[in-house]
Amino acid sequence: MASVTLQHVEKDYGSLRILHGVDLEIADGEFVVLVGPSGCGKSTLLRMIAGLEEVSGGEIHIGERLVNDVAPKDRDIAMVFQSYALYPHMDVSKNMGFSLMLKKAEKTMIDGRVGSAAKRLGLDSLLGRLPRQLSGGQRQRVAMGRAIVRDPKVFLFDEPLSNLDAKLRVHMRAEIKALHQQLKTTSVYVTHDQIEAMTMADRIVVMHDGYVQQVGAPLDLYDRPANIFVAGFIGSPGMNFLPATVEKGGKVDAVLADGQRLRLPDGLPLKDDDKLTVGLRPEHIRLADDGALKAEVEVVEPLGLSTQFYIKLDNQQVCVFAMGRAGVKPGQTVRLSADPAALHIFDPVSGSRIG
Amino acid sequence: MTYAMSEIRSAGRPRKKRLSYATVEPWLYLSPAIVLLVAVLLVPLVIGISYFFRKFSAFKSEYVGLGQYQAMLSDQVLGQALVNTLWWTVASLFFQFFLGLGLALLLDKPFYGRKLVQAVVFLPWAVPSFLSGLTWAWLFNPIVGPLPHWLFALGLKAEPTNVLSDPATAMWGPIVANVWYGIPFFAITLLAALKSIPSEMHEAAAIDGATPWQRFSKLTLPFLAPTIAITVMLRTIWIATFADLIFVMTEGGPAGSTSTVPVYIYVSAFKSLDKGYASAIAVLLLVLLIAYAIALIAIRRSLVRHV
Repeated sequence: MASVTLQHVEKDYGSLRILHGVDLEIADGEFVVLVGPSGCGKSTLLRMIAGLEEVSGGEIHIGERLVNDVAPKDRDIAMVFQSYALYPHMDVSKNMGFSLMLKKAEKTMIDGRVGSAAKRLGLDSLLGRLPRQLSGGQRQRVAMGRAIVRDPKVFLFDEPLSNLDAKLRVHMRAEIKALHQQLKTTSVYVTHDQIEAMTMADRIVVMHDGYVQQVGAPLDLYDRPANIFVAGFIGSPGMNFLPATVEKGGKVDAVLADGQRLRLPDGLPLKDDDKLTVGLRPEHIRLADDGALKAEVEVVEPLGLSTQFYIKLDNQQVCVFAMGRAGVKPGQTVRLSADPAALHIFDPVSGSRIG
Repeated sequence: MTYAMSEIRSAGRPRKKRLSYATVEPWLYLSPAIVLLVAVLLVPLVIGISYFFRKFSAFKSEYVGLGQYQAMLSDQVLGQALVNTLWWTVASLFFQFFLGLGLALLLDKPFYGRKLVQAVVFLPWAVPSFLSGLTWAWLFNPIVGPLPHWLFALGLKAEPTNVLSDPATAMWGPIVANVWYGIPFFAITLLAALKSIPSEMHEAAAIDGATPWQRFSKLTLPFLAPTIAITVMLRTIWIATFADLIFVMTEGGPAGSTSTVPVYIYVSAFKSLDKGYASAIAVLLLVLLIAYAIALIAIRRSLVRHV
């Protein structure tokens, strides 16, 4: 096992810069998830750690060793690909033992390692099968088994669950997490799915346009997003954003374009007529008869356990989340309140958090 | 509304089948294609095979039973033609395949001007075979072509004479032309197969510690094997029956040294004017190639089991 250290890592394709100086410390045994929309550079960063892409600038260390110019096979890493990249003409045991076979390991040693990995993943009965005879979930497990057999210092996962159906994805998510808790191998996991990131990560790295937006524990990111991008990306249903203007009169209010007011928390560096973007998580808006906000319900989505409904507030669709049955109907006008402490306040120009 | 599915399912009435019409109907729809197939493929084949039992001369034909078959058994020219065909096919195929594979592997790697090279490589395929035969015949001709002089300068030949006029070397002329002509086929098909190998598989192998040679021998080749089997089979049949180049360059000579079975068939039919004997040889070639195809398909099936 080893830590992974990225120091101002850059990647250029010709004149196009994909990664703008990424700094990241991944501790020994940590499970770090790189998350972001497609094209944000997360996969490129992972492939640079693997050695499949050249480093244009900066340094990558695995443990104490600088690996910028080390070949992938000498980095002591294992990677699980989105397509699994199994060798189609080799059976499960050969797929898993391929790396050891190339190292000319003893046959008994290969069989032992493959056997124990297969047992751990529930593949014992499938060792003689070819990849095309396996289901998606089984192939995924073989890909993981191939990684485990190598007993690497670092596991790299490149969207390993994207090709599975929704139900299996939830299942494998838990399985990968359990596996990490047993093996405690440093893991870097790339996904575009923020739910995967939230459920699996010790720490999440949110990326956008080649920049790291924020690094932190899942709930820290949820509770205190550093900017509008992270706020909108983490959480489902997503955060609502309302443009507003500051008005001070004893208390500090954010005035929406249609004149409705939201009470803001005290002690923020705000002055009259400052422009703001107010972020409101759907679960922090509550139906309340004495609420300060008035809006019309447009769409109701009953989910059984909870209800999501969309209201027209300040000419925008705003999502509200309530546990149980909300008892609202489309077309109904409702009064709502929002806890000032739960508001997220951003600078609309820079997008960064004010409070 | 919520309702149970069984209600809907019972709504349809049980369908009565008129068996006789139902069995005939699909064949009626297929009949235009069947008529076409029989007229275009089967009828000529059967007529061709029926010539096998006849002997033709200038103005008459007569039934001779298996007479042509007996004539074939004692025909030494035919024996020579079979050996020539084997030699011509194996040598052409060997060089076409390995040069084509090498070219495909080169073209699979990115380099500056690849698009242009790719287009140029496929050019021989577009040249009519008669034209390339004539061109190569001229290239080998010491009066107009440079090749004999180059071979002489390299010390490969004692004198700058025409390769095509020496029975010992004449077969190499059409073989070289055929290799030049056939490389693009292998390059195109193998390049397409190479492109279908997911790059992630090579990356996984690189992480697993495979050297470039191991990646080629343990991943690329097994992946290409089914394509190789089918292209080699098709190509063997095409080469074995391909007479244009030989006919244009040597007409089967000198002294029958380049006379392959298809050339011999042509000579029998249009120079000796015995269509019966030509047909008999053609049937022999057909049987040999079918046997070869069956063997290769069996091999391919065992390969495909892995992919």
